[in-house]
Amino acid sequence: MLRVEHLSKTYPNGTRALTDVSFEVADGEFLVVIGLSGSGKSTLLRCINRLIDPTEGKIFWDNIDITAATPADLRHIRRNIGMVFQQFNLVKRSSVMTNVLSGRLGYANPWLSLLGIWPDEDKKRAIKALERVGIADKAYNRADALSGGQQQRVGIARALMQEPKLILADEPVASLDPVLSHSILQYLEQLNKEGITVICSLHFLDLVHRYATRVIALKDGIKVFEGSAREIDRAKFKEIYGEEAQEVRATAL
Amino acid sequence: MTDNTTRRSPFLSGLFSAIVPGAGQLYNGQRYRATAILVGALVVLGMVVWYGEPFWYISPVIIWLWNIWDAVSLSAGRTRSILAPVLFSLLATYGIGWQVVQINFKSASIERAVQIVRPMLRPDFVTLRTEKNSIWVPVQVPCAPNPPKAENEINGIKAFATPNCASVGETVIVSASGLWPDTETQVWWQTPIGDPKMLGENEAAMLVIKTDSSGSLTTTIRVPSTALAAAPDPTLPFQHRVYFEQFRPIGGFVISSNGRYVLQGMTETLALALMATTLSIFLAIPISFLAARNLMSANPLTFGIYVVVRTILNIVRSIEPLIVAIIFVVIVGLGPFAGVIALAIHSVAALAKLYSEVIEGIDPGPIEAVRATGATWVQTVRYGVVPQIVPPFTAFTIYRWDINVRSSTIIGFVGGGGIGFFLIQWIQINDLRAVSAAFIAIAVVVIVLDTISAKVRERLV
Repeated sequence: MLRVEHLSKTYPNGTRALTDVSFEVADGEFLVVIGLSGSGKSTLLRCINRLIDPTEGKIFWDNIDITAATPADLRHIRRNIGMVFQQFNLVKRSSVMTNVLSGRLGYANPWLSLLGIWPDEDKKRAIKALERVGIADKAYNRADALSGGQQQRVGIARALMQEPKLILADEPVASLDPVLSHSILQYLEQLNKEGITVICSLHFLDLVHRYATRVIALKDGIKVFEGSAREIDRAKFKEIYGEEAQEVRATAL
Repeated sequence: MTDNTTRRSPFLSGLFSAIVPGAGQLYNGQRYRATAILVGALVVLGMVVWYGEPFWYISPVIIWLWNIWDAVSLSAGRTRSILAPVLFSLLATYGIGWQVVQINFKSASIERAVQIVRPMLRPDFVTLRTEKNSIWVPVQVPCAPNPPKAENEINGIKAFATPNCASVGETVIVSASGLWPDTETQVWWQTPIGDPKMLGENEAAMLVIKTDSSGSLTTTIRVPSTALAAAPDPTLPFQHRVYFEQFRPIGGFVISSNGRYVLQGMTETLALALMATTLSIFLAIPISFLAARNLMSANPLTFGIYVVVRTILNIVRSIEPLIVAIIFVVIVGLGPFAGVIALAIHSVAALAKLYSEVIEGIDPGPIEAVRATGATWVQTVRYGVVPQIVPPFTAFTIYRWDINVRSSTIIGFVGGGGIGFFLIQWIQINDLRAVSAAFIAIAVVVIVLDTISAKVRERLV
């Protein structure tokens, strides 16, 4: 159970990214965050694992206050939260295997990991994670030799290495073409069905309809909608995306 | 007053411009045009006056005429193209430039080219393997009352001289027997302190005598005029020596003495470049972080440091290592160490800049992703930063070593050690065969390194 209370974030340059956002996520949910670019979706997701420190408000996870965690506690919390990124965020020059193994850093022996030495158990786990996303044969390729869709699957495998209870997915399919979008989201859906809570920001409404168990919408850093995907009608859509917005369907592209 | 529609008088415009170039344009309200014309005219005039060749006065005169015409046209509301004055300034610039650098193809001489190229076609790297046969005989200079007998025998080879003593400039008959028959034999003088003196024509050539069929030779020599040049007291008698030396090939080749110097110089050059590059890495890495904009632009203090560091790097980089070497040769003395310091200083500046650009180009995404897994700061650096910067750092460093090897070949010209140290001496004594051996060695080493470093860098980047 994740509870976000009155979360606000103002960047040092004065940009107000989030204003008083509160919501709850039950275990096992597939929560989708929607909103225009710059509406605060990325900031919200990064506040949850504190890649960005919120200015105000609190975040509780299983009644632990993430916002008050010490650096050591925070690392323990982070290793239970996997993260998937729009730009995949792989180290391009490193092998797929190294990228996936880096997901295990929160558990690894700090000294051996610095030398690049990993226990066999972790290597087997990495191969298994890559098998789950169907690219075990690419384990020893350089990460930048893979296509976009394959790179995002490496990103998911990296998150799986953390044995996460929660996955934060920041626009995981925005850099991929629509056909690949479904394949990536299906992996997330599968993980969700196995009990991992997923919080995912998305652009395309039809993807939202297909995968979300619940939706929250942000506009200029303010939560303007919370409910099921079906409740987003034309009026709501205009409210979230503005008067001039036209719905673009991923499948129509 | 400065109403755009107001037409100025064409006569006054022309008159002003005739007195001061650009004044008429200013009168017509064209400030920038006026400034450009005044500055341009002064620069061209200054250049022509400085060079003093009357022909080129044509250029400022045409610019001056054009400027009057332009001022008159402006008063009539027409703006003329600046092509003509620009063309004439360039004409004068290139014309004077051509004369200043004394381009003169007629001064080239085929004869001198042949003279210098012919010996270079036979690089002095290896020589025929030979064996030596030699004997010497003592001769007292100047004469004492009872000079020792001028004779000597080693391994069955005998030599003697008559008389047993002589003064500078006197003749002595020297003979040797038991040498190889029918072989050219070098005869030369050695003073008591070991200085060799030649006995050939004008004491400037080696005296070479062929032995007869029995292996003997006899010749007349004159005691060299410089035989007592280093003697503390020219009236004191000392034993000088006359040497007889024969060489004959025994098949095969050996590396010549100059060849050995080439190898020694090349080894020194490679080590010099390696040391300079390695030293510079340790300094360049910390400096590069201070010179990376993305790390230093957070607050005014660090940004100030960034600007200062960048400026210093740019200044240091603009000074040729050769010039730096001249200074360090004085400070630390002649030899490779001065070269190492000179190259290292230049390399620090160059590498720090390249490294800082790598750091500026780091993708923050992977760092964020590694942090998100619960990694510590050190782990984040190891898995998010290091893999991004180590390959380009290595590639740039190898490239720098490559450049340093090339620079270190000439750093010896000013006493900085390496092959250049030998090369400049060979150039000065006109030993063109050794020069060409050095050229070939440099070319081979540079080409090999170039190829290897290109291959390695290709793999890294």
